[in-house]
Amino acid sequence: MRIPLISRILDTWPVRLSGRAARLAAAGTLLAGCGLQQDIDVVLPAYPPQLVVEAYLEDGQVPRLTVTESVEYLATPTPQVPTDVTATLLLPDGQRQTLRFAPGLDARTGKAYTHLGTQALTIRAGETFGLDLTDSQGRRVTGTATAPQPVPIDTVEWKFNDRPEEQREAYLLTRFRDPAATTDYYRLQIHRDSISREPEVEYTVEDRLNNGSEFSLGTSYRFDPNDTLLVTLYHLDRAYFQFLQSVEDARNANGNPFGQPAGIRSTVTGGLGVFTVLVYDRRRVIVR
Amino acid sequence: MTLRFLLLGFFIGFCTLLPPAAQAQVRHTLSGLVRATGTAETLPGATVAVPALGLGATADAQGAYSLTLPAGRHQVVVSFIGYQTQTRELNLTRDQRQNFQLADAGNQLGEVVVQGSGTLEQKLQTTQMSVERLTAKEAKLLPALFGEVDILKTLQLKPGVQNGGEGTSGLFVRGGSADQNLVLLDDALVYNPSHLFGLFSVFNPDAVQSVDLYKGGFPAQYGGRLSSVVDVKLRPGNPEKFTTSGGIGLISSRLTVEGPIKKGKGAFLVSGRRTYFDIFTRQINKLTEDDPDSNPIPDYYFYDLNAKANYKLGDRDELFLSGYLGNDVFGFNSPNGFNFDFSWGNKVAALRWSHQFNQRLFLNTTTSYTGYKYSISNRLDQFAFNLSSDIRDFTLRSDLDYRPNDRHTLRFGATATAHRFGTGRLRAGSEDGRLNLGSDITYDGQEAALYASDIYKPSDKWQFEYGLRASGFRSGQDQYGGLEPRAAARYSLTPNVSLKGSYALMYQYVHLVTNSGASLPTDIWYPSRQSVLPQRSQQVAAGVSWLLGDGRYLLTNEVYYKWAQRQIDFKDGAQLFVNPDLDSEFLFGKGWAYGDEIYLEKKQGRTTGWIGYTLSWTKRRFPPQRGTSGINNGDTFFPTYDRRHNLTVVALHSLSDRVKLTGSFVYSSGQATTLPLGRFLFQDVYGADAAAVPIYPQRNTYRLAPYHRLDVGVVWQLRPNRWIPESDLTFSVYNTYSRRNPYFVYFDQVKDPETDQVTSFRARQVSLFPIIPSVTYNFKF
Repeated sequence: MRIPLISRILDTWPVRLSGRAARLAAAGTLLAGCGLQQDIDVVLPAYPPQLVVEAYLEDGQVPRLTVTESVEYLATPTPQVPTDVTATLLLPDGQRQTLRFAPGLDARTGKAYTHLGTQALTIRAGETFGLDLTDSQGRRVTGTATAPQPVPIDTVEWKFNDRPEEQREAYLLTRFRDPAATTDYYRLQIHRDSISREPEVEYTVEDRLNNGSEFSLGTSYRFDPNDTLLVTLYHLDRAYFQFLQSVEDARNANGNPFGQPAGIRSTVTGGLGVFTVLVYDRRRVIVR
Repeated sequence: MTLRFLLLGFFIGFCTLLPPAAQAQVRHTLSGLVRATGTAETLPGATVAVPALGLGATADAQGAYSLTLPAGRHQVVVSFIGYQTQTRELNLTRDQRQNFQLADAGNQLGEVVVQGSGTLEQKLQTTQMSVERLTAKEAKLLPALFGEVDILKTLQLKPGVQNGGEGTSGLFVRGGSADQNLVLLDDALVYNPSHLFGLFSVFNPDAVQSVDLYKGGFPAQYGGRLSSVVDVKLRPGNPEKFTTSGGIGLISSRLTVEGPIKKGKGAFLVSGRRTYFDIFTRQINKLTEDDPDSNPIPDYYFYDLNAKANYKLGDRDELFLSGYLGNDVFGFNSPNGFNFDFSWGNKVAALRWSHQFNQRLFLNTTTSYTGYKYSISNRLDQFAFNLSSDIRDFTLRSDLDYRPNDRHTLRFGATATAHRFGTGRLRAGSEDGRLNLGSDITYDGQEAALYASDIYKPSDKWQFEYGLRASGFRSGQDQYGGLEPRAAARYSLTPNVSLKGSYALMYQYVHLVTNSGASLPTDIWYPSRQSVLPQRSQQVAAGVSWLLGDGRYLLTNEVYYKWAQRQIDFKDGAQLFVNPDLDSEFLFGKGWAYGDEIYLEKKQGRTTGWIGYTLSWTKRRFPPQRGTSGINNGDTFFPTYDRRHNLTVVALHSLSDRVKLTGSFVYSSGQATTLPLGRFLFQDVYGADAAAVPIYPQRNTYRLAPYHRLDVGVVWQLRPNRWIPESDLTFSVYNTYSRRNPYFVYFDQVKDPETDQVTSFRARQVSLFPIIPSVTYNFKF
């Protein structure tokens, strides 16, 4: 049975708390010791489940997407995977590619998926793709995504501090040039050793303060000598950037007494989630 | 209609209301100031009366009174709660200026004074409703968190005033938000009146004389904010001798020096306060500096400095200079070369010239400066970054008080302010010059107002206060203006029962840019411009005051209804920092609030205090707009500070001349808050990053558990000794029964300790303060 398999795959992943909530959990240990944190029963209004999609198209890759269902927050952690969703990809030339329900684990990304395409895509900048999901309950999720222009990384530099050998650490600096004609959004990720791990550093930025000029995104002193680092610069469209921000805002609002809860700004309509084309440049460096 | 034309019309219209000044009987005016003996401290609210004639007057905000009497001999009685009553015989043959000095009754009397707003009789008789007055002297008696007396937090014990959360000093008055309070320090505006993310207010109790909080029925001289006026007055220095006073507390110490500038001419006061968290944390850092795994604790402290001076230029002229300087400083220097500094604070200065033209006409002219700034800067190796925002105002205002006869008290005035809003300054650069970016978003604004008002007493039964304020604002090419009528009436049903009613319309031209729902140092102010129109509110209130128990108790019941337009909030995910297009991030909606406030107070005797109960509703609605679904999908919602029930009980008991017991109990319905109703699994581009993302489809639908707390305190006056003639120990126990009041609730995951797999989710409630005992030593010599 595939359903239990995908459920197990998704179920075994450590569900990451937001950074703030994780810090809060650490602080919570201290507060709990003082009796200032306690479990409580909360009664929440009923929440109707929605279809959730994650679909990232890449040039040269067979399309894979994950369709799940949102659940009530305090429901059991088992992911809800609907089995009756029909997924169709609308290609720029007007053709359709139906993705079959074939849950599995993508060996390249370490990510679970529910639907798999039939052939690798060829994607050029500016091309627009469409996505159409329907299920037997009559729910329908649709979206479009346009491939951004690639923005190459110019340089990746690093510099070690002056501390004793055993305490030496380097910061990393990634430079690239922002196109002047457009409003642009970027995501920089720095992974140590493998991209299937959680990134060491992640930024999402926009160019409203330095449109058309050089970007220099730096880190703190945090890398050890001989670390192998994978530096990835994604060029995002506005919808994907806003989706990422809203996800971060929503996660930060849980456990932040000063935070204002934010709604998810999906790139699709009729449900939640993201449908986008990934365009990125990646460098592999060994800091020494 | 242009603003100029509107203002002209306003004054022509108002002048038709001017009362006849001529009086047939030979009468003269007795006027002057009422002060406390040994200080320059004036006593607003003090009564100057001639009981034989049934005539009297109340000293105004500057302690000035004016009373028109028939010519001849009169016995004048001057009284004020907490001071010894003074009786003086005067022969009035012409207009006469007479100042009074009342001796402090504080330590000699076996009673505790709760309020300095005059007698309950005066509160019954005045037209002004919806006002709370508190002196620092009284606030100091009540138990306080960490022993830090905070006059704004004490105001939270009054009906109709909500706090913004456990321990915070923000005021939410009759459904208004914290940025809708006009906070004045000696007539100068204070933009951010809080330290340490709102845990303490910026007002050092040693330097403050009193605070008046207007919740409604706003007099016409106030404007610029929708919901309340918090009028804080600094204490003048001692004109007789040099004294030093201070206090040593759990988290901060205070020191005040005051004395005459030139005997009989003037006095000064300088008061400072500083916390000492950083002294302890630096020692801890020093002890752990050799441990490679230890993370240094950042430095944090705040300080504030208040100063006031007054100087008599002659019989009719006096100058007052007031100043405030305060800063919060947060600093972090890592051994790795990473430096981070975050500081914020206010600067306020006001110079007031008080002039008496004659017995009936007084003029106060004030010029003031106020500024608020925050700055975040960090540095790593060759890279430097600085983000800051500020606002600064220059204001000139004049207020004329004219008392043509006993039936009318007229007040006219004008005010003009030049604002500069630095909504975002960013500088980032590297030493090699390859990185150099910056932004400087600044707006100018001009705000002005004219007002006129009259307190008219046609008979003993009726008293009216009516006025009109014409206000305007300009930023760039955008201009706004409006008329703000104010009216109040009092009808004495019986000698012990008064009925009161009021109406006020208010405009607010500057707006706080925040989406935190709390007062944060990074909040910025933004002018009305482009699509951001001035906020507007109207409030009606009606009440009854009933003097009970031979005048020992006053029972007041007020109901109010307030409605507001063009309330502001922000889009989800709004970019509030350094955004030149901030205008597009606003959302606009409506708000309304209504409630009933019941207040019973006892002001004299060995046991004094009050009981306040408020039943209220506060609502907001932001319909779909600007490509969004609004807030809460356009449906009406409760803001976080909406509370259905609120009860406060404050009691003070004088056990002996040297020992006073105090206590306060508060209960309020649970705070409205937003909890995620759903969640979804988000894997992101790479699977290792899977996360549960909360879904918030509705705003503030969950109520935290009710809040209640009992604080108790003892003020023990020590025996005078050769070196320190006055001192006391103030013991406070905050949250005596250690109630775990909810601060916020969050959702957490529960993992199997062996497999590290998530087995369930749970809700966790966080509380902030358990029982906190504290002691403060106060001295004066």
